[in-house]
Amino acid sequence: MQIICISRESVRYGRQLAEKLAQKLGYACVSREELTDLATAQGIPVGKIETAILKRQNISEQLALDMDRFKAFISASLCGRAISGGIVYHGRTGHLVLPGLTHVLRVRAIADFEERVTMNMRRMNLAWEKARAYTEDVDEDRRRWARFMYNVNWDNPALYDITINSAHLSVENSATLLTQMAQLPEFQPTPASRRVVKDLLLGTRCRLALGKDERTRDIKVTVSVKDGDVSVVYLPRHARQAPVIPSVLEGLEGMRSLVCTVATTNILYIQERFDPQTESFGHLVEVAEKWNAAVELLRLVDDPEGSEREDAEPLPATGAPAETGGILEDSPDMPDCEDQGCGVPETLQRLIQVGRAGAVRTLVGDGLAVAGKLARAEQYSLVVVGDVFLSRGAAVRKRLKRDLVSLLNEQMRIPVIGTEDLKEQYLFGAKQWISMVFYAAATVLLYAGVFYFQEGILEFLAAPGTTRRILSAVVVGAFAPFAAIVIGGFAHNALKLVKLE
Amino acid sequence: MIGELFVPITWSIAGQVALLGFIGGILSGFIGSGGAFFMTPGMMNLGVMGPVAVASNITHKFGKALVGSKKHGELGNVDKKLSLFMLITAAAGIRLAVWVMKLLTGSGDSHGAVKGAGADLYISLVFVGVLTLVSLSMLRDAMGSGKDKGAGPSTRIVDFLNKLRLYPTIYFPVADVNVSLWVILICGLATGYLAGTIGVGGFIGVPAMIYVFGVPAAVAAGSELYLAMFMGAFGALNYAFEGMVDIRLTLLLFAGSLFGVYIGAYGTKVVREVFIRLVTAVIILLCVISRAIVIPMYLQQLGFLGFDPSWNAWLNGTSKAMLYVSGIAGGVLILVFVFRAWLQRRQIQASLTTQIPAPVVQRAAGSAT
Repeated sequence: MQIICISRESVRYGRQLAEKLAQKLGYACVSREELTDLATAQGIPVGKIETAILKRQNISEQLALDMDRFKAFISASLCGRAISGGIVYHGRTGHLVLPGLTHVLRVRAIADFEERVTMNMRRMNLAWEKARAYTEDVDEDRRRWARFMYNVNWDNPALYDITINSAHLSVENSATLLTQMAQLPEFQPTPASRRVVKDLLLGTRCRLALGKDERTRDIKVTVSVKDGDVSVVYLPRHARQAPVIPSVLEGLEGMRSLVCTVATTNILYIQERFDPQTESFGHLVEVAEKWNAAVELLRLVDDPEGSEREDAEPLPATGAPAETGGILEDSPDMPDCEDQGCGVPETLQRLIQVGRAGAVRTLVGDGLAVAGKLARAEQYSLVVVGDVFLSRGAAVRKRLKRDLVSLLNEQMRIPVIGTEDLKEQYLFGAKQWISMVFYAAATVLLYAGVFYFQEGILEFLAAPGTTRRILSAVVVGAFAPFAAIVIGGFAHNALKLVKLE
Repeated sequence: MIGELFVPITWSIAGQVALLGFIGGILSGFIGSGGAFFMTPGMMNLGVMGPVAVASNITHKFGKALVGSKKHGELGNVDKKLSLFMLITAAAGIRLAVWVMKLLTGSGDSHGAVKGAGADLYISLVFVGVLTLVSLSMLRDAMGSGKDKGAGPSTRIVDFLNKLRLYPTIYFPVADVNVSLWVILICGLATGYLAGTIGVGGFIGVPAMIYVFGVPAAVAAGSELYLAMFMGAFGALNYAFEGMVDIRLTLLLFAGSLFGVYIGAYGTKVVREVFIRLVTAVIILLCVISRAIVIPMYLQQLGFLGFDPSWNAWLNGTSKAMLYVSGIAGGVLILVFVFRAWLQRRQIQASLTTQIPAPVVQRAAGSAT
């Protein structure tokens, strides 16, 4: 079940290397072009997706769904072939559709730029400058594709395990080197990673089945799978089509159970040990009900030993900016949750009962390293960080949690808060009542003051003379934001009270 | 001062301005920019002089954008670098607009015409010209998207400009686009000038970012709001320096818009994108017709047309009715969406809670229902 992904700069060199490597290892060799043709034959408009990304078009809802299906198709193809034997894939960034799989050997094959320009010059019969511009455009297109599809920088060396330079290494020698590297224990499948591949395959097959069926092809969904238990989250506006989801997915191999949840958005809840009886969890459910959101549980298992480790378990890249669908995966080597009393099953059951269940994942890492690896996840509206780093002392725990919140905030660019702030920020309690009364009083005073003294105020604002005019500008410049904050504060609190946010 | 430059505010006028703010806020929250296209002419129909209506609205926009851009920033939709580049020329554009407006405000006295009629005519003409183009383009785009589900907004202009390679180009990391500095400066100048003239910068800035720069729609809306904060501040300070800001109108607009904007934004979560564009285009087009109706009145006041002045009341009344009908119809439509979504949510919740646990956790084999 070994998977080797080659991200190539030169198509010719990449193909030769992949074929040679596959021959040496006795694996199947698959190219991006081959999968793209198959996807197109399946009715996925790959050409349209490429054009939209490369020509910087805005992505419509339909195209976002097609992109989601395309990613699912590539994942399913790679996982399906990997299960029946090893696979060598060569394309752009194949390993990015296999998030959570740690045994994938990720290879970057680079080529000398001048050499590529010369080759393009000969192949296309172009002048040097034009061939150079063409080669630059091709590189930029590839970078754009990786940025848009997976929100990563294609050139980032951290995305790869090894970089092969075709200017210095022949195809034969590169293949020999990679054959030896593929024997290392880090790139061998484990029982946990086999399970992840199976879950990933099942999830992507679910996604493709929903995309293929006429009754469900327009539904935006997020599919997650854990040990064969499938969770499908859909938007409220698709509630009419949603009842057919079970019949569409019925009979898929490996599926143990199916949970369908309606949600407008997702909330990510990070904890080390979950407890559905706590007050903070109650607040979270209240916010989720108010926002019509699904709650995704992320169990963060502290790993003090691995604090210096660079490759803490990565979270999957979470899709293109315009989409909300996608496949989420669980990380391999997940510590046995039930034995440790982590509370995940009970919490998930509670979320299912209130119709707010999202995915469940476990992550092993020291927190800070994990935060650094988090991709910008636009399908979440909120991240709530609960009790984490429980094995540390109280002061260290507090500091690490604060650092984690701040890092996630910066990384994900969405609101990230601690459970202790949940009520204050998103629910209506005594503090919000006080705040609303304060803003209401300030608003009344503001209006009363301005209208009672309107004659004098307008005289002052329209008075002639440079000094008076400058003063007028200063007063208006200070008054407008002040009034907006006061009246806006009142409006925000009042609408929060009637649960309209 | 009240009665000359500023209108006396009765309870009725106060209510109408707050209502304008509320509907403008709903439209602004729903459409993602503007609202001024409804509020500025609405206030003018209530007897507020054009420049005062623009000045009060731009001051209101400054405060509203300050609060809104903070929220957009939290969602990662603001490209500050892009906004700041556009700001450079937008500021010059606003200053130019204020100067032109000041010139036209005084022009009425010179030949006995109604004070401010020249400025009003000028504002109305710009309003009608620019927004007709914008709304028709949006309508065409929305209709095109309806036919072809995969199509986004046209990229013909972006492609053309990319071919020209007008150096220097600047990379904007949040929007993920490379844009020529010259193109940014020209668009910024146009945005600022129109914001200063008709108080409608967003309807130029957002399409410019999408169609000319190739910026994603969400980032365009967020960056425009960030830009609007500075432009609003600059416009407000300039108009305040000229003594044209009626702070009472600004406050009344806040009273409605800060509530309306939340409701409009909620509406976008429950309506299809193509439908949002369609509703927006139709509302703007109706507002354009409303403003076009009063153009003969200004021409008559300036002595260019010689019909009976008693017709002016009819023209003004029809324009006012048309504007209110379009704005209220748009606002009500959006409110209906919000209500339907709320109702649907309740129904879905009810179905989930009554079916728990068996039908929600559906076994794939055998017992699935």
